[in-house]
Amino acid sequence: MILTSISDIISKYHSFFTRGLLYTILLAVLGTAGGFLLALPFLGIKTTKIDPIRDSKVSIFIKKVGIGFTNVYTTFFRGTPMMVQAMIFYYGMSLVIHNVTGNNYWWKPIIAGIIVIIINTSAYIIEILRGAVNAIDPGQMEAARSLGFSRKKALYLIIYPQAIKNALPSIGNEFIVNLKDSSVLSVIGIFDLFKATGSVVSTTADSVTPYIITAILYLTLTSITALLVKKLESKRHGGEMKNV
Amino acid sequence: MSNVILNIVNVRKSFGDHHVLKDINLEVHKSEVVTLIGSSGSGKTTLLRCLNLLNEPDSGHIYFFENDLMNPKTDLDKLRMSIGMVFQNFNLFNNKNVIDNCTLALIKLKGMNKEAAEEKAMHYLAKVGMANFAQANVARLSGGQKQRVAIARALCMEPEIMLFDEPTSALDPEMVGEVLEVIQALAKEGMTMVIVTHEMAFAKEVSDKILFMENGIILESGRPEEIFNRPKNERTRLFLKRFTQN
Repeated sequence: MILTSISDIISKYHSFFTRGLLYTILLAVLGTAGGFLLALPFLGIKTTKIDPIRDSKVSIFIKKVGIGFTNVYTTFFRGTPMMVQAMIFYYGMSLVIHNVTGNNYWWKPIIAGIIVIIINTSAYIIEILRGAVNAIDPGQMEAARSLGFSRKKALYLIIYPQAIKNALPSIGNEFIVNLKDSSVLSVIGIFDLFKATGSVVSTTADSVTPYIITAILYLTLTSITALLVKKLESKRHGGEMKNV
Repeated sequence: MSNVILNIVNVRKSFGDHHVLKDINLEVHKSEVVTLIGSSGSGKTTLLRCLNLLNEPDSGHIYFFENDLMNPKTDLDKLRMSIGMVFQNFNLFNNKNVIDNCTLALIKLKGMNKEAAEEKAMHYLAKVGMANFAQANVARLSGGQKQRVAIARALCMEPEIMLFDEPTSALDPEMVGEVLEVIQALAKEGMTMVIVTHEMAFAKEVSDKILFMENGIILESGRPEEIFNRPKNERTRLFLKRFTQN
């Protein structure tokens, strides 16, 4: 019975699911890739060290402001629901743009949604990368400094590449989280998989089957990604284990 | 006086309430091999790490030629290029293979082109007997091989002085010899070196001057035969006795 209704709904409404799926994947891909890129400058700020002997007063002040701002940023975006962030950002910007430019017809939910998921993801990836940097053996930095590399050069050439490589599985997990959590962005009217399912429900009056289909689609996406992440992890560990 | 490479004047260092170095004074001359011995916690590794400011002393002066490393205006990074360091745990760059470990600083800091840097790296890798491993992943090397690459990496910068921080302490016994041989060969060529080690026989053979440290001070210093055969201080005698008994 359930199987026939599943195949019925799919054959009638597959375009809804396809379109929703595309938006969900788009949000997760852009959110994770963009979040990673946005996290990098913050990582630079978070991993600076204040040298009370050699830094000028101005640069100590700038570093302190930067670190403070980064802390507020990660605390806020990790401490509030993305759904709330999306509401504030979409409707807030809508008002601002209208007041400033006189019209806001180009301000679309999808643009707001992509920006929000990028910012939200970056806040998590900043913490992931900071942890990965802290986990690198301090001897790597000491060796670089002893050769004459500045702290900054040592970070860019030696520490960050290793930390980012080690953090890739965790960033993959962020992608999985984004696949699922992008569903909350439907609240501002993005036609993602969750929203698409809602449309099918309202036209079929069947409020269970479409969600079962959607659950299977989400599960497929996350399972494939989890498999890839696992492969990435075992490749990394496999490489290290051989040398122990 | 002109052949003084390092001049350490009234250096003090404490970690919290613990005074690790109490007023250290020391001169290292060109081509001199100075070895620091003493029990764990005597301050010898801290002193060595102060010599290139990996540990920042609380007070005092460390003159490398005429430059005081303790002066905040000194370009530390530039001077460190001339002070090689070899660590107990090798600290090879894990994201680079053997030759890239050696060429990175040459290319990025000395502005050499890749070919010239690799030529130099191969020269020093050959010197430590690691030329055949130029393309190897550092994770695949044994401890002794890693340490020899670490020495080659430091030598590539053609430093004025080399600092060795217990270079064989993390090695399996059968690999200690290959690393000590490399260091000994460097000593013969006239490389100026400061070495922290627990290898007493090696210290006796390679050193021009031995410093016995205890509780943050240099308790006794002298030529190897003086320290080993006629130690003036009772503590030195006890320390060496313990070591020769083992």
